Amino acid sequence: MQRGAVRRARDLRSGPDTRRRPLPAVSALALSLAAVALVAAACGSSTPAAAKKKANSTTTTTATTVPTITSTTTASAAPGTTTTAAKPVVHTPTPAATTSSTACSSSGGALSTTCDTKSPSLQVNGAGANSIQPFFTRVFYYYNQANHGVSVNYSPAGSSVGVSDIEQGTVNFGDSEIPIPAPATGTSGNILQVPVDLGGVALSYNLPGVNGGLKLDGPTLAGIFLGTIKTWNNPAIAALNPGVNLPSTTIVPVHRADSSGPGYDLDQYLIDTGGSAWTSSKAGTTPSTKWPITTVGVGEQLNTGVAGYIQQTPGAIGYVEYAYALQASFTNAALKNQAGSFVTPSQSSIAAAGAQASGLSASNFNIVNGPGAGTYPLANFSWTLVYQKQSNTTLGVVLGKLLDWVTTTGQQQAAALGYSPLPANVVSLAHQTLLGLENSAGKPLFS
Amino acid sequence: MAPTLLEEVPPPRLTPVGGVKEALQRRSARPGGRAYTVVRWSGAVLFAAIVVALVVSLLASSSQAFAHSGLSFFWSGTYNAAKDIYPTGVFILGTLITTAVAIILAVPIGVGTAAFLSEFAPRWLATPLSVAIDLIAAVPSIVVGLWGLLVLQPIFTRHVEPFMKKIPVLEWFFHGPALGPSMFLAGTVLAVMILPTIVALSRTSMSAVAVEDREAARALGATRWQVVTTAVVPGARTGIEAAVTLGIGRAMGETIAVAMVIGNNYALPHSLLSPGATLGSAIINNFGEASPGLDRASVIGLVVVLLVLSALVNVGGQLLMRARSRVVGATT
Repeated sequence: MQRGAVRRARDLRSGPDTRRRPLPAVSALALSLAAVALVAAACGSSTPAAAKKKANSTTTTTATTVPTITSTTTASAAPGTTTTAAKPVVHTPTPAATTSSTACSSSGGALSTTCDTKSPSLQVNGAGANSIQPFFTRVFYYYNQANHGVSVNYSPAGSSVGVSDIEQGTVNFGDSEIPIPAPATGTSGNILQVPVDLGGVALSYNLPGVNGGLKLDGPTLAGIFLGTIKTWNNPAIAALNPGVNLPSTTIVPVHRADSSGPGYDLDQYLIDTGGSAWTSSKAGTTPSTKWPITTVGVGEQLNTGVAGYIQQTPGAIGYVEYAYALQASFTNAALKNQAGSFVTPSQSSIAAAGAQASGLSASNFNIVNGPGAGTYPLANFSWTLVYQKQSNTTLGVVLGKLLDWVTTTGQQQAAALGYSPLPANVVSLAHQTLLGLENSAGKPLFS
Repeated sequence: MAPTLLEEVPPPRLTPVGGVKEALQRRSARPGGRAYTVVRWSGAVLFAAIVVALVVSLLASSSQAFAHSGLSFFWSGTYNAAKDIYPTGVFILGTLITTAVAIILAVPIGVGTAAFLSEFAPRWLATPLSVAIDLIAAVPSIVVGLWGLLVLQPIFTRHVEPFMKKIPVLEWFFHGPALGPSMFLAGTVLAVMILPTIVALSRTSMSAVAVEDREAARALGATRWQVVTTAVVPGARTGIEAAVTLGIGRAMGETIAVAMVIGNNYALPHSLLSPGATLGSAIINNFGEASPGLDRASVIGLVVVLLVLSALVNVGGQLLMRARSRVVGATT
């Protein structure tokens, strides 16, 4: 009797304890779930580098779908080949790799042709422009198919990252939409700048009921991005587009929150054509990769962020690399070019802009607002950056061959993705630049 | 029997922890203890050194920015690297607003959920639910950010934000066009991120409230709900406060998830629906491309401001709580 009372009292006292003790089955389940959680936590947030990479891969994952979407014939343009490099580390090749290629490298080889096509097994690391990523993903995949040994990791973190990474020597090559101003040097000396693709920047908009090809000129575009033109039926836009039924939707201009090559091109175009309203607002006539007007509209990260926002938001207009606009089937504005005609971005109109580039070089790279009636005004070459002196001969030879392939055979892949093949004079500029590659002793790698 | 046992196992010497020298002397007889002392002290010193080095190096690398901008580092104009103008006021404001939104959303829901789990939910539901909540805490912020961007943003633009505009008092905070990315959306995403922390810590401290307190409340005729409000929540207050402090810390420091949903507009926000920017999002957007020199120094200056702001909010919050508990103690 008394014992029973005591037990009851004890039960009462320790009530919450027993409540919290789970049944064996439940606790086993809880334990295993907790283990999963632990693993997830460890994978998800172990290193800042991983976290940063994750940030980049927000675009990577979406962007790498480009090849599979646009090409139905070669649907296997494996995204896996170029994506998941962690922030590239300084390359240390295996000794085996160094010896296996001496046949080609020691005697100096011919660039792009005879010298045995079998490259040593190497991993090449690069970082840079986000805009070129769809193109690189595809050409590096095909190069890997042709030369099984060479795989390329490309981290599309942005042009400025490409420049700083090559300057600090943390990657084998960088890529930037804007070449490094002379003198282009880094920790390992002189940097060669090779034009590798020709792309354009689309002004894409989401305006239900209005087709593509809405005509815009410099001052109107400046007004939109400065926030002075607020609705789509503004008289300035209506005057350029007689006969188009413009809705009164509010305009939401979208810019890149990070710095970007497309932003640089549009800034250059608006400096050339946008009038004093633009130059006085941004205070200067030097184009910048960082979008100058940050107090108007919405800022999104990378091409994918801007493209995603345009897709979601009626009334939005923003600038994206044409390859991204093409992939998303956006409606693009027809921009007024230097000759006074309105041109939409397309493979041919961007190619026309590239064809105007006479005397192109890393210091004379600007092809924005070029001459010619069929020329699309927002176009640019993308530049790959490599050190002239390659301390590792094997790697130097592989890089040279890879880039020569990209600028010649690889250009066949450009059109389907929304880029335009390099004009012949630019291909030869690339070839001449690559012939400048040297080994550590200063002897040319190729002849 | 007992004496032999005592001889075999000498009782542990319970000596107070002193300085390094004393500890070494005390432990000198036993090499293992000595090694442990060295490890223990060097660990403590290393930790302190890392914190000091962090602050010093941040200050050193940002001193150029503070020298250049002076007090105008906190206001005047729009952040523009091309013009060498680096005001942080908008970012500070954005950080405080998004954090406030997150706390306002997450604290009632979090504490309520914790109370439900610890007091009301049957055991078969409470255990798996707690595990699920702990799992949310392990989701990396980039995932939450993507979810906010791809899932929440369209819902907010079409349904939630127009709805908020119709609510009589709240409409004052929610005016202007619903563009999608906004301070409000960023605050909501932050609330989701800090919710598991608040729930887990509050639940633990609520479970730890003494049974006698609940029994006392019940004995006075309290309903189940009144037991929670009069006995459990006050008893667990310290734990709940710690949970909120941790939540504030995470919300203020979050970068990538916020940068994805806030709209990165550097203008002064006029409504919770405006796109904006926080210190964290500005750091992540500007640091990668900041050119060495004043530009980079200014971005590191943002980091210093964030550090100071977090410290201020934490200290301020603690002082507030201490003052409040004193008032409560005096009145009851």
